Amino acid sequence: MGMEQVGLLPAILAGAFVVVALFNAFLPRRGDWLVILAMLAVIVIGFLVIKDFQTYFHDGEFMPRGENAYSFEWVNIGDGLFVIDFSTWVDSITVVMITVVSIVALMVMVYSVGYMHGEQRYGWYYAVLALFTAAMLTLVISGNLLITYFAWEGVGLASFLLIGFYWERQSAAEAAKKAFITTRIGDVGFLIGIILLWREAGTFDIQQIIHFAEEGGFGETYLTVTMLFLFMGAVGKSAQFPLHVWLPDAMEGPTPVSALIHAATMVVAGVYLVARMMPVFDQVLIARDVVLYTGLITAAMAATMGLVASDIKRVLAFSTVSQLGFMFVALGLGSVSAAMFHLFTHAFFKALLFLGSGSVIHATERQEVEYLGGLRKKQPITAATFIIGSLALAGIIPLAGFWSKDEILHTSLNEGSLPVYVVLATTAVLTAIYTTRLVLLTFFGEPRDHHAYDHAHESPRIMTMPLLILSVLAVVAGFVVFTPVGKALGFSGGITELVFVEEPEKFHFDGAFALGATLSALFGIGIGLAYWWGRAERAERARSWAPELHALLVNRYYMDDLYQAIINRVVLGAAAVIALFDKRVVNESGIDGGAQSVSWFGFRLKFLQTGKIPNYALAMAVGVVALALVAFRTS
Amino acid sequence: MSSNDGYLLLALFLIPLGTAVLLMFVPSRERGAIIALTGAASFVLFVLSVYLFSRFDYEGAQFQGVKAWTWMENIGFLGEKGIQLKVGLDGIAAPMVLLTGIITMAGTWVSWKIQHRTKDFFILLYVLVAGVYGTFVMLDLFFFFLLYETAVLPMYLLIAVWGSTRKEYGAMKLMMMLVAASILIFTGIFAIFSEAGLASFDLTRLFGAHYDPTMQKIFFPMIAIGCGTLGGMFPFHAWSPDGHAAAPTAVSMLHAGVLMKLGAFGIIRLGFQILPEGAAFWAPGLITVGITAALYGAISALRQTDLKLMSGFSSVSHMGYVFMGLGTLNVVGMSGAVLQMFAHGVMTALFFLLIGGLYDQSHNRDIPNFSGMAKQMPIWSIFFIIGGMASLGLPGLSGFVAELHIFVGTFRAYPIVGGLAVLTAAITATYLLRMFSQAFFGEMNPRWSGLKEITWTERAGATVLVLSILALGLWPSPWVDRISTTLAHTIPGVSL
Repeated sequence: MGMEQVGLLPAILAGAFVVVALFNAFLPRRGDWLVILAMLAVIVIGFLVIKDFQTYFHDGEFMPRGENAYSFEWVNIGDGLFVIDFSTWVDSITVVMITVVSIVALMVMVYSVGYMHGEQRYGWYYAVLALFTAAMLTLVISGNLLITYFAWEGVGLASFLLIGFYWERQSAAEAAKKAFITTRIGDVGFLIGIILLWREAGTFDIQQIIHFAEEGGFGETYLTVTMLFLFMGAVGKSAQFPLHVWLPDAMEGPTPVSALIHAATMVVAGVYLVARMMPVFDQVLIARDVVLYTGLITAAMAATMGLVASDIKRVLAFSTVSQLGFMFVALGLGSVSAAMFHLFTHAFFKALLFLGSGSVIHATERQEVEYLGGLRKKQPITAATFIIGSLALAGIIPLAGFWSKDEILHTSLNEGSLPVYVVLATTAVLTAIYTTRLVLLTFFGEPRDHHAYDHAHESPRIMTMPLLILSVLAVVAGFVVFTPVGKALGFSGGITELVFVEEPEKFHFDGAFALGATLSALFGIGIGLAYWWGRAERAERARSWAPELHALLVNRYYMDDLYQAIINRVVLGAAAVIALFDKRVVNESGIDGGAQSVSWFGFRLKFLQTGKIPNYALAMAVGVVALALVAFRTS
Repeated sequence: MSSNDGYLLLALFLIPLGTAVLLMFVPSRERGAIIALTGAASFVLFVLSVYLFSRFDYEGAQFQGVKAWTWMENIGFLGEKGIQLKVGLDGIAAPMVLLTGIITMAGTWVSWKIQHRTKDFFILLYVLVAGVYGTFVMLDLFFFFLLYETAVLPMYLLIAVWGSTRKEYGAMKLMMMLVAASILIFTGIFAIFSEAGLASFDLTRLFGAHYDPTMQKIFFPMIAIGCGTLGGMFPFHAWSPDGHAAAPTAVSMLHAGVLMKLGAFGIIRLGFQILPEGAAFWAPGLITVGITAALYGAISALRQTDLKLMSGFSSVSHMGYVFMGLGTLNVVGMSGAVLQMFAHGVMTALFFLLIGGLYDQSHNRDIPNFSGMAKQMPIWSIFFIIGGMASLGLPGLSGFVAELHIFVGTFRAYPIVGGLAVLTAAITATYLLRMFSQAFFGEMNPRWSGLKEITWTERAGATVLVLSILALGLWPSPWVDRISTTLAHTIPGVSL
């Protein structure tokens, strides 16, 4: 069992999806155990695949780009002219992604046993989780851009179904619709980009396209345009500016889903895509700059919105958008290793934070921070693990987030420019502030809604176990950057020596830099503590401090309103005009008008048929004279 | 495929005709007998269609299973082999035969609940089916046109007698437009006949004849508009939304599912295969018409509130893709067009089946009147969402395979049009998801608490259609191989 069998990973879960989706009503416990069992099998096989990858890695040549493991021809027109191969590709990026997806998916599936207990459509929930994980694994092992697109839409579908899981709530239905259409706009660009790549390179195979690009097969302008289209897909899926609007609304879905799909896995698909295509992006630096500045704007903007959001899940959603922005900044600077490293650590601590918030919501049935407070006494495990996750997010040494964020900041200073570094560092401070605010308002101070507080209790063990495991990962996941740790895990080195485009980078610990980063994170936490230390009045004061600014942030820079206005006025307006054109011009004038004019002429002409002999005789006489005149003229 | 399979091709046309004749002798009160007879006939047709599709040798580009019986020769203007009953199958007709088999069976099942003059309904329906099958397999221009008209004419009665909402208007409009269009086809056919100078209607011989390029340029648009009207080609689509809105369920299914494909099929058979130079000259026109229709239909659908009208405009949009694919003049794009004919056929039949299942109970199709239907009719909703996902081009379902080929083909020829075509898919997603979020989700509207889940026959029909959608979506090569080989070898001037 090795890399050739990597296709089994999604296949097992796809099978579980089909069985549970169709027959969950007949299965004990609605088939949740079947999905979890399938996930365990996937983890075992995934482990074997990674082991195989390691042996391959050790003996002989060092081949960072892995091996084209398996291939199945799906479509072939004209003997190789237009070929879609179902091919897989395992390299270090794939290995990182498989690890992240499997661990988080398993944690979420186990956690959901408690969280979703007693829900109607419980079986359907697990079926869609299996579908999602299958599609996500297909996405990360695919060696062909069209198969990537295939899986890309598959995860989008699962996301749509899970955001709309509580579809009886109109808000959930609207959020699902918004997510699907917004990401679909990005996907239009993605598909155009794929086809444009094919148009010149004649293949959808990722490695062949990269090879073609490195040989200089594409024209400079052509490739720039193409890669920007491709990047649109990443912008939509990873909720980057200006298509970030769907992610906060996506929090309508069940909380474990938010942890899996909207924090740890699906939303990083865009980062994965750009990392995967980085050798091509390297050919066109303008496109890379677009990636950089998109990420930078998003990181800063989302962090400011996170400062004022009152819904615990939405704060985390803004935080996710912001952290994804960090990853895109790293990619824009050409550092796949920093981006993938942050992706790796972020997955664990953000999943932890989401599952922690789920534990709070489960206990209090409230998710607005105004109604929470003081919960650390009621939910000690949740509070402790949540604080660990928050410190990791804020970037406190030695937690996971510190190392990866440090790597990105380091890259931005070395590869980028000072302004980029300054914006990122400021955003890191903002991150610490809103994280502190969230922790304080939720777990400290006086309870503000006594009904919710009295009702609260620690979650069952099946939910706290995943929290504990993830909190351990949130502490240690960052250590994979060290060479000895990587070697101990069986790899040839730390994560940055594994994941790269051109040359492996050895991690250097820069004491002064780390000190600066830690101090700025502590500074942020200090501001947060000073401002919100458990007092509702202080939260009020924050609001009145700069009401216009507060309104701007709370309304998310009015971008959602702007989009809604565009849809209502422009799109539906144009549709109304065209529908009216179809009714009035095409149907009423064109078709009915034609028919009516025939009947009108028929009506008029029938009066010629008078039935009086003299009239007919007159007509004949006129005719004869006219014909005679014509005959004379011509002769 | 051996030449003896030609008898099966003939059977495709004789079985429905025989069923119609037999039905005339069944007393109308014997509903059981009517159901048994139509059930058996549609099942045999389905099995035959699947068999012929699978037996078709996908590496052969020529007609397979060819059989001919001379009907008239050496009289009047007819020379040797003037008019023959000649059947044969190529890689374009094969998927169409399969499509007809699938939709006829599903359409028959859902029509069993018709109470009003059931027997007469099925007689007309099977005459229509005979015409459709016949047109796909006939290799003689005379019978081609005869059966083409046979497929179209029963529509008038089927809509006017068994229809709903403005049925007389819809039936009349459809019939007038299609008959007017037939005049163009008729003219074109005689121009081809006389220009070829063979004194024969044999299609295989007509393919090889020489036609003056100027003549081709004049008559190709006549054929394209004539057949295109049946295919719902913009701006001659006006009959389609009204006709669909008025037609009973099975007729909508067959009409949108199969008859509209007959139009596009006619353009390939008469236009591209006989008049390739004319087609090449007018290809940019087809592209223009196609992309206009795709955008126009999709944007119009955004504003429709009647489910059937929305589906009708959606059909105009999706058939626009077909004309666009044909206009690319390369094998990938044109294969996409034929794939889209199949894909659109099954998904639109599914839509109409489901809309019928709702309308028969609620007598209402206005989207804003519905809300939270997923609660009341979950199975119905799931089928509808699968159809919608196929329609908006979700990978894994039929629509994506077809659209991908069309997009790729268009990008090779006209990148900007290709970009607009991909954008259209996003608009499709918008109107479908708006409809889902309005009608299926949210609080259930108590007004509809009396509605029942769709019947078992409807579920069975929908299942067959969904399985077809999945089959093409997950394993497209049986379709793609057959279609692309034929297109690459039988149309001169088509590039790979």
